[in-house]
Amino acid sequence: MSIKINLFKGFEFKHKNTLIHNLDPRVKGLYVIISSIIALIYISPIPVTITFLISVILVIIARVVKEWCATMKSIALFAIFIFILNYLVSPYQKLNFAITMTLRLLTLTSVFSVFFLTTSPEDFSLALLKVGVPYEYTLVFNMAIRFIPTLARDLQTIMDAQKSRGLELEKGGFLQKVRKMIPILVPLLVYEIKRCIMIAEALEARAFGAIKNRTYYFEIKMKKSDWIAVFLMVLTSITLLILHLTHNLPNWFYWKIPY
Amino acid sequence: MIAIEVKNLYFAYYDEDYVLKDINLIIRKGERVAIMGENGAGKTTLIKHFNGLLKPKRGYVKIFGKDTRNFSVAELSRIVGIVFQNPEHQFFAETIEKEVAFALENFGFPKEEIKRRVENILKYFGLLRYKDKSPYSLSEGEKKRVAIASVLVYDPEIIVLDEPTTGQDAVQRKRIIDLMKKISSLGKTIIAVTHDIDFVIELFDRVIIMANGRIIADGPIKEILTNREVLSKARLLPSPITQCAWLLKELGVPQNILTPDEFVKSIIEVFQLEYKD
Repeated sequence: MSIKINLFKGFEFKHKNTLIHNLDPRVKGLYVIISSIIALIYISPIPVTITFLISVILVIIARVVKEWCATMKSIALFAIFIFILNYLVSPYQKLNFAITMTLRLLTLTSVFSVFFLTTSPEDFSLALLKVGVPYEYTLVFNMAIRFIPTLARDLQTIMDAQKSRGLELEKGGFLQKVRKMIPILVPLLVYEIKRCIMIAEALEARAFGAIKNRTYYFEIKMKKSDWIAVFLMVLTSITLLILHLTHNLPNWFYWKIPY
Repeated sequence: MIAIEVKNLYFAYYDEDYVLKDINLIIRKGERVAIMGENGAGKTTLIKHFNGLLKPKRGYVKIFGKDTRNFSVAELSRIVGIVFQNPEHQFFAETIEKEVAFALENFGFPKEEIKRRVENILKYFGLLRYKDKSPYSLSEGEKKRVAIASVLVYDPEIIVLDEPTTGQDAVQRKRIIDLMKKISSLGKTIIAVTHDIDFVIELFDRVIIMANGRIIADGPIKEILTNREVLSKARLLPSPITQCAWLLKELGVPQNILTPDEFVKSIIEVFQLEYKD
């Protein structure tokens, strides 16, 4: 049994000095929201594909192609599953529906990974703080990200210890395999709960929650480039919205695969 | 007979980032070998190769002639019992008795045999009265002993211990040493990863020193553990007795002393010589 942590690899942040990395996390958040809305409201492949291609361009500018590929690869199987499922359940225009749905999944994954590949968890929580999320919650998020690799390592260590006592994980039927998870999940759970208590104690030892309004050493500020990005995005969205409402969008925009 | 043969072993977790480099090692049946070295030197990575948890990237590891690449971890574990550092990484059963019986069940021992073996080993470690308690309810030292017991109970031919003495008081430490000596007298091979230099001096004949994924020294403890250069490379402090001997160099005390007995003997010799003059 191997651990599938490739998916998380796409969400692993490495600092690079690029245009996208240096954008304010709130701006990138806006990008994620707008792109997601576009990807979710259209059931025709063209707008979704355009959104997807824009995200690819951003990936290239941010120089995170390798990490992005890892993420896309890890959802490939799921994408195929989505395609088949939608093809089977959709009543008409089966191919169009299935392809658009698959594109939707790919686009959303791509857009979100642009965000997480170029935004450090710390920046992300700062952005959340700025939009009014309480510090306790952003800290929880931050720690969740921080502890993914630790959890994976603990799991590996536990599996090693149990395999060394003769636990055969590769062989056996489904029910047997489930039963064999007990010697792995019990120590993992106990260990992580203990770790939580330890973290809580460490936080309290450093005066977590001592006063209501804590101050911050790092701050995020909107720069000129951030405002330009916001302006471009808002302009595009409003134009698109007006064209959409006044039925002035070209026909090819709504083109559907005729099957 | 060769118990473990490691030849040109290279290992990397990621790509070409080798954490073990060109390891060559032969451990004969019945030997008592300690593996020492600074944190991150690759000690634990090396012992994980002994029961196939990790497979070589290059080179090979053979256990009694069996290439680890061709056998499953469970099969190799029957021969090589590894006790890991943190006992909490393995406790899952409701009672200590069940915890210790786990490996025996996995290896298909008959019920009566399991009961007998578990009771014997728990008695030896002074844990029998706790047998119906949860392993998590024990003290750190007791947990460690349960972990050791849960491997020793199936009587593997080669026993590998990762930091067995941490958290043990002097009495329990002595117990572990005595048990290992007893097991060793039955012809079993004992390997331990440790930072406890006195533990090495008391129990082992041979020591392997690792640094940066390589073996930098391998030989009798008397030679290696009194070698200033090797010790400093491995970031190890010599035993206090050795340090005393080094301080008394001017008096003519031999520089390769490891035990209090040797020290006293040589001091007496020195004074006798002085007296004669």
